[in-house]
Amino acid sequence: MKDRSDAELVIQACAGDRESFGELVVRYQRPAYSVALSVIGRHQDAEDAAQESFMVALERLEECRNPARFAGWLLAIVRNRSRNLIRRESLRRGDEIPASASSSGPSPERAADISALRGRLTEALNTLSDVQREVVLLHDLEGWKHAEIAERLGMPSGTVRSHLHFARKALRIQLSEWKDYGKGV
Amino acid sequence: MDTEDRDRTAGRGRSPVRATNGESAREPRQPLNALDPGYESPGYWERFHAAVMQRAAFELARRRRLARESVAAVLSGWSRSLIPVGIAAAVAAALLVGSEVRNAGDATPPLVLEDVLASEVEDRALPAVVNGQAPASPVAFMVLVEGNVP
Repeated sequence: MKDRSDAELVIQACAGDRESFGELVVRYQRPAYSVALSVIGRHQDAEDAAQESFMVALERLEECRNPARFAGWLLAIVRNRSRNLIRRESLRRGDEIPASASSSGPSPERAADISALRGRLTEALNTLSDVQREVVLLHDLEGWKHAEIAERLGMPSGTVRSHLHFARKALRIQLSEWKDYGKGV
Repeated sequence: MDTEDRDRTAGRGRSPVRATNGESAREPRQPLNALDPGYESPGYWERFHAAVMQRAAFELARRRRLARESVAAVLSGWSRSLIPVGIAAAVAAALLVGSEVRNAGDATPPLVLEDVLASEVEDRALPAVVNGQAPASPVAFMVLVEGNVP
């Protein structure tokens, strides 16, 4: 299962294979969320946009002309959908993923710390351009390599490095002003 | 146990390269983990996955049904075209065999060498030869032939 290529999974998913589509979701749910977050900047809306993008992708799988490049195609859907959501000001706020009752979540103090850090990070990210946000999240949050980002976003690897460099530099400046940055997390 | 470890335990790598991505070691990586919803909410990505799959169930079922129907349609399409062609071929073969059998009865007799040599040659047989009164002597026969040459 792990060895199956994206192209194979897409072809199987086209025929309605639940397992194949599920594997595609596992592979790209985090990048999809990161791209949505880079555009929208809010967790709940990014979550909605990422989930809806998977639905749109499933409904339009036949339009993915090169199944081997499914990731880039999916992320383009996520990006467009996120922008449309912002443009229309009709962000859906329902369908929140319920936390499981047995979830061993963080303590209230730690949750508050994380929430504060998240807010600060979001503010810092908002100072970047769309593409810089996307690149830095895919690289530093999702762990994608330059070449992967370049291939999937359709830009030269050098451009990816450049965006990453300037994004990190801007984030450093923004976050260094926050003296409690990173503490306790 | 951090998010990555939890993912690994759950059998779900966030990215195949995440653990080995050290290509930008020269620059400090920004600690963006707090932006990961799974950072503070264990099982978040499993729930995310489950939510997507739940919403996708109808579309996947529709696609499975379409796939089944398209296979049946191909088979029935083949049957619709192949059966008439097969019947027509069988009828044609039967007619061909029947005509061969009929023609076998009145087949033309084989040609003999004399007929081939005599064909398209003007009939100039000597009456004496035809009547069986040709002379036995070659000299007399030649005289008879010479006498009939126009």
